[in-house]
Amino acid sequence: MKAAAAAGAAVTAWQYWPRGRDDQAAPAALQERWVKSVCLQCPAGCGIMVRVVQDGLGERAVKIEGNPEHPINQGGLCPKGHIGLQILYDPDRLRGPLRRVGKRGEGKWEPISWDEALQIVIERLKDLRERGEPHKLVIMSGRNRGQMGPFIDRFLAAFGSPNHVNHSSICSDGAKLAHYLTQGFKHYAAYDWDNCNYLLSFGGGFVEAWRPTVRLLRAFGHMRRGRPVRAKIVQIETRFSVTAAKADEWIPITPGTDGALALAIAHVIVKEGLYNKKFVDEHTFGFDDWTDENGIPHQGFKRLIEKYTPAWAAPITGVPEETIVRIAREFATTPPQIAAGQRGAMMQTNGIYNYMAIHALNALVGSLDVPGGVLVQIDPPLTPWPPVVQDEIAQAGVKQPRIDHAGTEHFPLAATVYAALPDFIAQEDPYAVDTLMLYYTNPAFSSPDALKYYEAFKKIPFIVSFSPFLDDSSQYADLILPDHVYLERWHDDVIYPSLGYPVVSIRQPVIRPLYKTMNAGDVLIKLAHGLGGTVKESFPWQSFVEVIQFRVQGLFESGRGNIRASSFEEFWKEFLERGFWADPPYPFGQWERVFKTPSKKFEFYSQALMHKLEDFAKKKAEKEGLTEEEALERILAGLKIAARGDEVFMPHYEEPRSIGDPKEYPLYLNTYKLMAHAEGRGANSPWVQEILGTHVGRRWESWVEINPATARRLGISEGDWVWVESPLGRVRVRAKLHPGAMPNVVNLPFERGHRSYGRWAVGYGANHNEILAREYDYLGGNAAFFSTRVKVYKAEGRSG
Amino acid sequence: MPRWGMVIDLDKCTACQACVVACRAENTVPFAGPEESAKNRPIFWMELLAVIEGEYPRVRGQFIPRPCMHCDNPPCVQVCPVNATWKAEDGLVVQDYDRCIGCRYCMVACPYGARFFNWYRPSWPTPLPQQHNPDLSPHRLPTGGRQGPEVRPIGVVEKCTFCIHRLEKAKQRAQAEGRDVRDGDYVTACTQTCPAKAIFFGDLDDPTSQVYKLSRSRRAVRLLEELGTEPRVYYLSGG
Repeated sequence: MKAAAAAGAAVTAWQYWPRGRDDQAAPAALQERWVKSVCLQCPAGCGIMVRVVQDGLGERAVKIEGNPEHPINQGGLCPKGHIGLQILYDPDRLRGPLRRVGKRGEGKWEPISWDEALQIVIERLKDLRERGEPHKLVIMSGRNRGQMGPFIDRFLAAFGSPNHVNHSSICSDGAKLAHYLTQGFKHYAAYDWDNCNYLLSFGGGFVEAWRPTVRLLRAFGHMRRGRPVRAKIVQIETRFSVTAAKADEWIPITPGTDGALALAIAHVIVKEGLYNKKFVDEHTFGFDDWTDENGIPHQGFKRLIEKYTPAWAAPITGVPEETIVRIAREFATTPPQIAAGQRGAMMQTNGIYNYMAIHALNALVGSLDVPGGVLVQIDPPLTPWPPVVQDEIAQAGVKQPRIDHAGTEHFPLAATVYAALPDFIAQEDPYAVDTLMLYYTNPAFSSPDALKYYEAFKKIPFIVSFSPFLDDSSQYADLILPDHVYLERWHDDVIYPSLGYPVVSIRQPVIRPLYKTMNAGDVLIKLAHGLGGTVKESFPWQSFVEVIQFRVQGLFESGRGNIRASSFEEFWKEFLERGFWADPPYPFGQWERVFKTPSKKFEFYSQALMHKLEDFAKKKAEKEGLTEEEALERILAGLKIAARGDEVFMPHYEEPRSIGDPKEYPLYLNTYKLMAHAEGRGANSPWVQEILGTHVGRRWESWVEINPATARRLGISEGDWVWVESPLGRVRVRAKLHPGAMPNVVNLPFERGHRSYGRWAVGYGANHNEILAREYDYLGGNAAFFSTRVKVYKAEGRSG
Repeated sequence: MPRWGMVIDLDKCTACQACVVACRAENTVPFAGPEESAKNRPIFWMELLAVIEGEYPRVRGQFIPRPCMHCDNPPCVQVCPVNATWKAEDGLVVQDYDRCIGCRYCMVACPYGARFFNWYRPSWPTPLPQQHNPDLSPHRLPTGGRQGPEVRPIGVVEKCTFCIHRLEKAKQRAQAEGRDVRDGDYVTACTQTCPAKAIFFGDLDDPTSQVYKLSRSRRAVRLLEELGTEPRVYYLSGG
């Protein structure tokens, strides 16, 4: 056989063979290089190496691989990382600055030069400052990794606006705030997964949507077979996800009740004396009853949770009593263990309290800052920013209230309130917005009740987008100043909390920009320089790469980490060659760093929350002539918190609220993220379109997962077109009969249903955000993603 | 000569599909688009097979990455009427696009569904071809035919090659060092990218290699082993 094949003469080529390129004379020696950089398909910050070749087709990027040295991903790369090539070479990328010529949203544009485009913005912004209204400039941002976030803050501070609204309040801010209230750090936690023996995951897509993705996938492999002891993973979730399938046990739970389950687990651990008494004595506050400096007695967590018995929790959560008791015992007796979660547990009306209850489990078993437990990420020693220079206009501007009401008594702990913004813009409350800039965010697609943003946009006279693509929001802009895509630009990345020790990576252009696009950081510098005066003074750099160099100088000067150099030039060169700077290992037991609370301990009873709400009550009492008790009562009522007294400041159970009459809308709507979902930014890649729904066998379209018994009751069969309808509206999707759907919950995935985003994104599937009602965890201003009720019924169209 | 083979640890695998996309990028596999996808015609040299079964709340999910098994007794080779597919010297099952007449007997014969037919002309709107793998013409088959990441025409069958273009480069490097190619000289694109480090690749005959040890582990199984195909891909069972 072999011989026969070898002996066969070359078969005449079929005439339809795409001839040309490969049939030319002997190919010239291929020139190639591998360039280190950082992925930006999610916030994980994985180190990448890009293969760049030079041949007849020009200089081109042909493959992305993981950087084997990079501590986050160690050579691995998730599907989104590979898809970067289709982002770079998307045929529908914007080629240069565009000015709207038709009506808003009509899609008529004219290309203009960068000079002209920048001048338009500068004139407008100058005018705003001259009118004394710089606060009417709002910048919305997402995925502003590394220095981009503080850089936008700086631009607005120098300009005179308090209005940087980033998207974290539609992401996972609940965990950040729960950590702040109990441990004093306002960020996600780092975790020592590699040494963890028991993971209790509440609504966290560990192998799908949790971040940093590849770090977690690597940890998963290690926890399974990379070491002698195989860790146990228990997934508590409202749907049978891939994570649930890969876990050792799936515990379905009624949406919004994760806090009740965590509290009942705590109850069992304490009642059976399984908690770590030494740790609780030494490192926690508010476990037992206590008396404050005024001699007033307060209830402690131990007495509070007496009422949260498994018998109480079972009907609320739908988890059987004996399962609760068994999980509590397993968790407490399998150290080191981690209780953690993600948006499934925390992006709920009661999300912060839920997450405080979950995190309290780690304190009970002493899994804070120990090997195999929860760590606190260390910041890298970057050079501090020089002070912002502000003139009187800027000083007055930044003192104005924020447009999103973050940090007011309505959203006391919020840093941003992204989802409520359309209402405030539409109602001009507290003032009218003049100019909106969009950086790496697409609110008209990705915010709950997304279409509300189109109404809000009508109220804004001038909208500028930095997007490299004509996305759903950018199509309503007046001016587009397209950024490079990440493979073309300078941008640093400080890792997401994960490893504990600090890592800074460098995103460098792997090839020359394909089009007349510009680094958004450079654009901000040009705008600042064009505005002149103190705004210009605050930006003593000519380009964004200079800003990065200025900041990472501190890494060189610290003398720490993996790069040792005798000069900064040498440091920078090695930084680019390696792609990152890291300073392992993580130092355990630095309690002053780990507990930044008033008591310098983990606080079961959050004094930070108590002080915060008491301050608001005091101010409100003075302003409105109330007693402090009355004022606090009104604030709590406004926040829709049912608890009163000491309970308010401790992890406790609040009943979740939902929108839609249960009689008319009998099902909960659960929206979820899949591995290939690039956080709303991946639908313009055909590769994503073809692998997103592999677990349900659906490509290029959206589906809703329905429990087969529920579907039968509704007369719905596999592959039918159905309407999923909420009080806001309805979307048409395919029915997927899924045994992993809870009988009273239907599941719609993220990613599809763009109204604008290029040829591969528009017209495929439906956007769940168009029917997702806006409800909040008012305490933190977080969008509650699981509060919408729906009904499902058959739609017209052939099933398939 | 190494007996190249693969071991996939299903307990470590996270079903992320990085292997699926890395393979498409490495091997210039076209996307199908919505219409052809609806006809179930997308091409995946490496494909994630997913089965979710049971009745709520007792549900089970299984996810299996499926490359070409490069069988030592490959049914696809036996049925090819034009010798467009055969077992190469080093045991890889190669596919010659120039010889293939598109009869699809091999697709029927392959019990793993690892072979794919080009039903449609690949769509690479400009500038998407910029991402095509340049490792093309130097690695022609002895027949003079094309294989590997060459852009395929409509009407021929294609499949996973164990990244044969990478093997060619590894051979050249080994030759330059005056030795034979051996375990560790190259891995496939799916192996390289796997975030959970669940895929292993190497010489199944080399007692010092990882795949040698893992393929002999108690957890090791091969798909449809009873058919006697002698697949070179081993799976380590989960749980």
